[in-house]
Amino acid sequence: MDDDELIAAMAGGDDTALRELFARHAPWLAARLRPILPAAEVEDVLQESFLAVWRGARGYRPEGSPGGWLWGITRRQAALWLRRRGPDGLPLAALGSHGGQHAGDPAEAAVSRADLAEAVRALGPEGSTTQEVWRLMYVEDRTVTEVAGLMGVPEGTVKSRAHRVRQLMRAVLRQPVRDGGGR
Amino acid sequence: MNVEISDVTRRFGRTQAVAGVTLETGPGVFGLLGPNGAGKTTLLRMMATVIPSSSGRVRLLGRDPGGYGPRREIRRRLGYLPQNLGYYPGFTVAEFVEYFALLKEMPPGRVPQAVATAIERVDLGGRARAKLRTLSGGMLRRAGIAQAIVNEPELLLLDEPTAGLDPEQRVAFRALLRDLGERASVIVSTHLVEDIGAACSKVALMDAGKIVFQGTPDELTARGEGTGAAGDAPLERGYSAVLAAARSATAAA
Amino acid sequence: MTYSHEMTGDRDDLPGPGQDQCPRDVDLHRVWLGVAAEAWRRRPGLLERLAGRALRSPGLARALVTTPSLLLGWVIASAVVLAAGMFATLGTGTPFVALFAPAVAAAGVAYAYGPGIDPAWELSQSMAVSDRMVLLVRVLAVFALNAALGLAASAASGTAAAVTFGWLVPMTAVSALALAAATVTRSANAGVAAGLAAWAITVLSVNSASGQVATAVASSALVLPYLTVAAACGAIAWFATRIPKGTS
Repeated sequence: MDDDELIAAMAGGDDTALRELFARHAPWLAARLRPILPAAEVEDVLQESFLAVWRGARGYRPEGSPGGWLWGITRRQAALWLRRRGPDGLPLAALGSHGGQHAGDPAEAAVSRADLAEAVRALGPEGSTTQEVWRLMYVEDRTVTEVAGLMGVPEGTVKSRAHRVRQLMRAVLRQPVRDGGGR
Repeated sequence: MNVEISDVTRRFGRTQAVAGVTLETGPGVFGLLGPNGAGKTTLLRMMATVIPSSSGRVRLLGRDPGGYGPRREIRRRLGYLPQNLGYYPGFTVAEFVEYFALLKEMPPGRVPQAVATAIERVDLGGRARAKLRTLSGGMLRRAGIAQAIVNEPELLLLDEPTAGLDPEQRVAFRALLRDLGERASVIVSTHLVEDIGAACSKVALMDAGKIVFQGTPDELTARGEGTGAAGDAPLERGYSAVLAAARSATAAA
Repeated sequence: MTYSHEMTGDRDDLPGPGQDQCPRDVDLHRVWLGVAAEAWRRRPGLLERLAGRALRSPGLARALVTTPSLLLGWVIASAVVLAAGMFATLGTGTPFVALFAPAVAAAGVAYAYGPGIDPAWELSQSMAVSDRMVLLVRVLAVFALNAALGLAASAASGTAAAVTFGWLVPMTAVSALALAAATVTRSANAGVAAGLAAWAITVLSVNSASGQVATAVASSALVLPYLTVAAACGAIAWFATRIPKGTS
C-alpha cells in the first residue's frame, strides 16, 4: 500500500495502517528533529506527532505529499514543544537572519533550522564547492569579491555557483521532503 | 525467594495428584517437566492460588495464600497462563488483555501503556484490534501470554505455553522467557524437553505427583549419559533415565 | 516475537527506505508503544465509569458490563417476553407477567456467569478481583434489572397488588435454584433448565391443588418455602464456587 492508501485506511480507523506508516516514516522524521532537539524530546515530539497524525488522518488531502503532510504535523508539534519549554531552552539559531519571516517566534525559527539543515545537505557533501560557496556567501555574509579571492576563482564563477546554490535550495525548500519520505 | 513450597500435597477424592512436593525458587526461569498426569498442572494451579493445597506449606511472594488479603496481593503480582485458556470470541486482542489487566487491579492510568507493551512483546502488534475469533491457535496462545505478562508479574506461571507455536515462534518465546526471568520467577510447565534446555536455569522433573529430579539442565543431561536411555537429544535421554530410575524404585518399594 | 529496533510488524514488509536514518540515540520503539497505547485504548462508556466508581473497582465494573445476560440483545429479549405477558394478561386476565417473570430472571441469572459460558473461568479464578465477587455483582444486577422490568410490565397489566409484587419471592427462589444448578454442574444451560423446570412444576402442581394459576405467586403460605429454597440454593451456589473441581 502506498502512503496515500495508508493514510486513507488510517482515517477509517485502521491501526495497522498507522503502524506501517510509523515504521516507514518515524526514522527520517526523527533524523530531521535530532539536530534541533535532544533525543528524549525527539521521542516525545514524535509521539505527539503520530498521535496527531492518527487523529487528523481524515483531514488529509490525497493531492498533497504524504511526507510533506507528516513533516508539517511534526514541525508544528516541535514548535509547540519548544515554545512550551520557554526561551531558555531554545537552541541558538546560528544561521543569522534567515529566520527573518518568523522574527517574532524563536520556536518557529528553530524548527525552520531543521528544514534549512536538510536543504544544506542537498547542496552536496561537506567540503564541496557548492557547500563552500554557501558557507562563505550566505553564512559568513561575504561579498562576491572576497569569496572570489578566498576560493581562488573569477568573480563570474562565484556568481554562477551562488546562482546554483540558490536554485538547489529553492528546489529543496519548495519540496521539503526527500525520497526518504515514502514509496 | 518468590516461591517456597514445603511438603505440599493435593488430593482429589482418592487420587493424590501432588504427593509431597518441596521446591523453592527466586528470580529466573524454572522448568517443570514430566509426563502427562504427573501433577504439574495441579502444582501450577496451587501456585496460581486457584486451588488450595490439601496439606503442606505454601508461601508465594513472601505471603501465605490462605488469607484473603495476602492472596489478593499475590494475585495482583501474578501472571498465569492455564493449559486450556478459553477466549471471548467477540473481544479484540487489546480488549482481552485489558480485561485481565483490570481484573488484576492494575491502576487504570497505567493500563493502556501496559497493554500495548504486552501485545508488542508477543508480536501481536499487527493484530491488536482484531477479534480473537479471527486468530490462529498460535496467535491465541500468544494473546494468552500477553495477558499473563501485562501486569509485569513477579511470579509468572505458564502451563504448556508453546502449544500451537511454530518453531520460529518458540525460539522467540524462549528469548522472551529469559528476558522476563531477569526480574521475575518464571515457572514453565511443559512436556517438550527442548523448551526447557534452552531457556531454564533450573529444572524439576515430576512423576506421579512427586519431584524425582531437581537441578540444572546440564545435571539432567548428565544423568542420561551412559545409561542407554531413550531419546534423540542428551536432555531427553537424561529425562528418560531419571523417569525410568524413579519408576523402578517405586516398583521395587 | 523478536522485537527489533526496526519495528518489523509482519515479516513480509520490507523496511522502508528511510530505516537507517534514525539517530541511534532515539528509541523509536518506546515512541511506538506510547502511540499504540493511545490508538488501542478502549474508552469505557458512562455506565461502566459510574459502576466503577460505585463499586470502587474498574475491573469489577468491566466484568459487570460484559455479563452475557446484560447485553442489549438479552435485555431486549427479556423485555419482549414480559411485554408479551403483559398483553396476554390484559387480554385474558391470567397474570402471565407474574408467571413469566421468575422464568426470565432464572435464565438471566444462570447466564450471568459460570464455566458453561465463561470460557476463561480457570484464569478468572486467579484474578485479584475474585470470581465470586464478579458472580455476586452480576447476579444481583441481572436480578434487579429483571425485577424492574417485571414490575413495570406487571403494573402496566393492571393486576392486583398481591400479584404485582407477589412474584418477586418465587422469582428469588427460582433464580437461586438456577444459579445453584449452574454453579454445581458448571453449565449455564443446566441452570436454565433446572430453573424453568422447577418453576413449571411448581406452577402446575399449585394450579392443580388450588385450581388457580395465580396461587403460585399470590399465596402467602408459600412465601416461607420459597425463601427457604432461595436461602438453601444460595448456600449451595456459595459452596460450589468455593473449591474449583479439577483433574490433576
